[in-house]
Amino acid sequence: MELSITTTPSTRRWLNDVAPLIAAALLALLAAWPAHARDHLQLFVVKPYLELHTGPGRGYPVAQVVARGEAVDVLMRRTEWFKVRTERGVEGWAYERDLAQTTLADGTPFKINLGDRAGFTSHRWESGFFGGAYEGATLISAYQALSLTDHLKVELTASQFLGNLSNGYLIDLGLSHVFMPEWRISPFVTLGGGYERIEPKATLAQPLSANNQTAYVGVGLRYYLARRLFLRGELREREVFTSQNSNEVKNEWKLGFAFFY
Amino acid sequence: METRIRILLLSLVALECSGCALFHRQAKPDDSATASSDSDSNAPPPTVIDPQVERRNIKVPTIHPSNVEIGAYYGELSIQDFGAQPVAGLRLDYHISEDFFAEATYGRAKAGFTSFETLSNIQLLSDAERRFTYYNLSLGYNLLPGEVFIGRNLAMTSAFYLIGGIGSVKFAGDQNFTVNFGAGFRVLPTDWLAIHIDVQDLVFRSDVTGVEQLKNNLQATIGASVFF
Repeated sequence: MELSITTTPSTRRWLNDVAPLIAAALLALLAAWPAHARDHLQLFVVKPYLELHTGPGRGYPVAQVVARGEAVDVLMRRTEWFKVRTERGVEGWAYERDLAQTTLADGTPFKINLGDRAGFTSHRWESGFFGGAYEGATLISAYQALSLTDHLKVELTASQFLGNLSNGYLIDLGLSHVFMPEWRISPFVTLGGGYERIEPKATLAQPLSANNQTAYVGVGLRYYLARRLFLRGELREREVFTSQNSNEVKNEWKLGFAFFY
Repeated sequence: METRIRILLLSLVALECSGCALFHRQAKPDDSATASSDSDSNAPPPTVIDPQVERRNIKVPTIHPSNVEIGAYYGELSIQDFGAQPVAGLRLDYHISEDFFAEATYGRAKAGFTSFETLSNIQLLSDAERRFTYYNLSLGYNLLPGEVFIGRNLAMTSAFYLIGGIGSVKFAGDQNFTVNFGAGFRVLPTDWLAIHIDVQDLVFRSDVTGVEQLKNNLQATIGASVFF
């Protein structure tokens, strides 16, 4: 314990000067965020009643019901649950499928994106992370995708690989095309480019770290699990443009979880 | 008498004039309309309605999604062979559904000394190599969602969750692929604040103490996070 705490003048200065500032900024953010005023969407109950649970989950008991013709203000959404306030000021959590049966003030049905197969087919964002291998090294990878259409996506991937001889990072930007987005198992192809950084291990006499440009092609499968969750597996073949006479070809596979929103 | 007749006549004339003017003004548009329809069809069509009311742009309020959780934690990390040391970290969670959430964490600790180092006074690692830095990408499952009651009037939603994932630990001059798993308890005093208590094991393979073996590094932390 004693050995682990070594305060140099610079760290002390940091603690004195910077840390209170960060703490104050965080506190200000905390104080400001929930108080942020906003207009609430008003929805009208058209079914005989709308059930309000005490918490955002299927197991929380129903403590209130809103009768047909009455309105609720939607305060916020957490996963499949919406926090609403009734005209009498009672707050509770309504399930998304129940709320999808209400109407807006002009009588049009209230539409929401449900976390279901239709959402799996058509969504705007997806994220995920993977484990795998890159030329024998263990690979850890995470990605973020933006859907241009149901078929075409722009993907940003960041990876770290940990091998016996060297470690390194990969960063890629590419396009992927999903062939049958409405299928539970949907195949896709992907194409893009990026950078590879290799850091040889200190114990070995090897050249210094290197940054290389890369380009890749890949194929993969998406498998819808439940709600907003799906499995994603991928194979990539990567051309690494080195400063040597010939380029290197490296293979990569990865498997992991992803979700859409 | 004569003056009275003169006043009457004058007022009649005045009335006549004003009446003519009024009639003339009213009749004019009709005249021009008939004239234009009769004379030529090339003239621009008459503007029938020219509303001066601005269109109201009704904006439906959007629903605020609150699925992202950002926070910090602090606790104790037992680094195998190097003693238990304070650990601090940051967490970013995304609540995918009421059951599942994804979590990214980044933590730092500084390893102590092995018993060999303490007894022999020989240091195996430099000061920089003693820095234990890790990140994890995990998937969590809310196994036991529930409510916590404090007294008669306060109920807070809570969940006991299981969590597991992969990541990397930088320690003793090497980066190691790490598997993490554990369990935690989350309680929400308000809708936007969460208190976490977590216990996790960070497992990686290392030969830092001479023989390559699996190193179990148990971590117990308490933290707070804010929903956005």
